[in-house]
Amino acid sequence: MSNWGREYENRSGFFNDALDVGQGPANPPRQAGFNLDEDIDVAMQPAGAVAPPRRLVENTEEVEQTPLQTMIRHWMNERHSPDILPAQEALLAGLLDHLRSQTRNIQILRDDPRTSESEHIRIMLVQTEIERVKFLIRSYIRTRLYKIERYARFITTNADIQTRLTASEREHASRHAKITDQHLFLSVLQSLPESQAHLDDTPVFYPSMVTQPDKTRPVFVHALQDCPPVALPDGTRLQMNKGHISLTPYHVVEHLVARGEAELV
Amino acid sequence: MALPPALRGSVTPQELEMIASQQVIEIIPLIAMEKTAFISGAYGPLRPPNKSKIPLWMAVNLKQKKKCHIVPPRWLNVEFLQGRLDLENSDSRAFCELPFRFAEIAKVIIDIASDDLENPDQIRSLLKDLREARQAKCRAGLGQIDHSELSLSNLGSMEINEIRPVFVQSMNILSKLARSNTLEA
Repeated sequence: MSNWGREYENRSGFFNDALDVGQGPANPPRQAGFNLDEDIDVAMQPAGAVAPPRRLVENTEEVEQTPLQTMIRHWMNERHSPDILPAQEALLAGLLDHLRSQTRNIQILRDDPRTSESEHIRIMLVQTEIERVKFLIRSYIRTRLYKIERYARFITTNADIQTRLTASEREHASRHAKITDQHLFLSVLQSLPESQAHLDDTPVFYPSMVTQPDKTRPVFVHALQDCPPVALPDGTRLQMNKGHISLTPYHVVEHLVARGEAELV
Repeated sequence: MALPPALRGSVTPQELEMIASQQVIEIIPLIAMEKTAFISGAYGPLRPPNKSKIPLWMAVNLKQKKKCHIVPPRWLNVEFLQGRLDLENSDSRAFCELPFRFAEIAKVIIDIASDDLENPDQIRSLLKDLREARQAKCRAGLGQIDHSELSLSNLGSMEINEIRPVFVQSMNILSKLARSNTLEA
């Protein structure tokens, strides 16, 4: 399991403890007109997750850029990109805090016998959303974890890719690389002649032994705004306007995705 | 492993449906509900019989409990789709403009709220015709693929997902051929 996943479990554990404290005298008992939103708004504030201003949706295709929508975009980018994208630590922490406060709120409501029938629907909806968000976050983390394990050896030798990982992801990568190396050495390599016992040979005409992200892999890219022209492998330039969809090698649009001007679909 | 092999190359239709279900849709509620803060934003209050806007997944949930009617989006009706189908057939290359996630949203609504639609059977057959017309263009597009770029504007997310494995691999092979060409030259 990833460290993020572990942190997530820890947080929910912490949060169950916190609930008992929360029901002590520090928190006044819930009043009859208890308002889920107010409580959530208050709970949201210390988390420091400031939601961007909401704008009206004119067109159904224009989706608001809430933290959740942003997270969905990063999730999809991560799934489609052959490379590891920068970790979204702040965004993820904000969402986890939000999840925690929502879980606490429904727990309080559920434990209260005065909760009415119509509130049960609200609780059920909030609970459903929590499960949806949890699924998304798990999938995002698992995708990163898969790539980290796959490129572990490459990560340990490449400073650039390390800047895109969190501290715990970096640690996981180096541990994974070390353990795999040890295993290969003990099971096979130590009995081979010295000249064949390396894991990082770069023979001519053969791919490198260290698995690297294949940035030439084609991806489907969707321009979120008018993008500056990009240079294509055949030497021509491509100007993508808002809404344009293209299939092109990842390295062509890498910088657009990083700047949030385009998304992978 | 961290990510099952089936999920490595592409996303699943179910995942796309989940993303599409985040979109806001209009409903006519049959129950009252106070304004409630969700992670994706605050929705409500629901006051029957006033229309209200909530995410599709929430509408599906309420609909299955018979607690709301779904107001179909303005593009999900016979007239609009017939117009698009005519447009689609009149141009042999470009795809006509449709909402990016139309396939997912249409499927969800037809599956669970066909009684809120007018002529659901006709809508279904129009969507099928649209799909076939667009699929034929996709296949024709495979002939134009080269190693650097292929424009597919107006293609929906579900359609992209469908053609992804073949198209990505075709382009990959063409890139390799192009690279070995330049090496030899």
